Amino acid sequence: MSAMSPIASSRMRRLTVAQGDSLASSDPEVVFTTVLGSCVAVCLHDGQAGVGGMNHFLLAEPPPLTNEDARLLNRYGVHSMELLINAMLKRGASRQNLKARIYGGATMREGLGEIGNTNIRFARRFLDSENISILGENVAGVVARRVEFRPVAGLSRCKAVSTQPVEQINKIAPPTSGDVELF
Amino acid sequence: MLLRAALTDQGFTVFEAEDGVDALEKFEAATPDLVITDINMPRMDGFGLIEALRSGDIQAGLPILVLTTEASDEKKARARSAGATGWIVKPFDREKLGAAIRRVLH
Repeated sequence: MSAMSPIASSRMRRLTVAQGDSLASSDPEVVFTTVLGSCVAVCLHDGQAGVGGMNHFLLAEPPPLTNEDARLLNRYGVHSMELLINAMLKRGASRQNLKARIYGGATMREGLGEIGNTNIRFARRFLDSENISILGENVAGVVARRVEFRPVAGLSRCKAVSTQPVEQINKIAPPTSGDVELF
Repeated sequence: MLLRAALTDQGFTVFEAEDGVDALEKFEAATPDLVITDINMPRMDGFGLIEALRSGDIQAGLPILVLTTEASDEKKARARSAGATGWIVKPFDREKLGAAIRRVLH
């Protein structure tokens, strides 16, 4: 995996990894892409099998005794990571060959910094418990990220999509009119 | 809620996001024909969202309308510079808003 170099040609098929998704592929034309705030995405790669995958989770673990719909549990890292590994294995990856990169976990709003940090800590802890090496991270900070990942080549790119730091919600000015102005 | 009702009543399909980051996260999955954004939002404001949508490989021709209580020329100019297609001051007029959307979509 590498960072900041162009990794996708125009003929590549881009698949968005939305909140709660865990996708894996052995198609060399596929690029996984996602945008992360405090969410975390883990990219897994098995170079020998030529299989890669990416997930996108919102929170580390569900609250105790939750009654949430099973489909919504995919939002949590603890479920999302299992789904991602299973998707990798299903496409021929071997657990012992998996390498990981972690992205996201930014502090996007003052007072909510623990969400991103908790997600990062969870991802590290989970990968460690599964004996999956972490090759690199682009995590924390205060800006949203766009991540692209070519699952077969194992190439990834991560860039900030906003340079704007954490901010307070501005006070709203009084309304004036309903006019429309097209530029 | 008001905006959603106004747009769905006029036949548009609406995807909602809580702020700029949420919008970006949902944008690629929803692939909307048009984006309406406020300026004052937590996490990533409307300027940041417009810049992000206009950067990189995300649709350059996507119409982006700003719907806001802000009325300053400075902010309007900044939105225009960032790549906004139009500026609408709240409270919005349903018919004017619908007409503006149809105009930028066609």
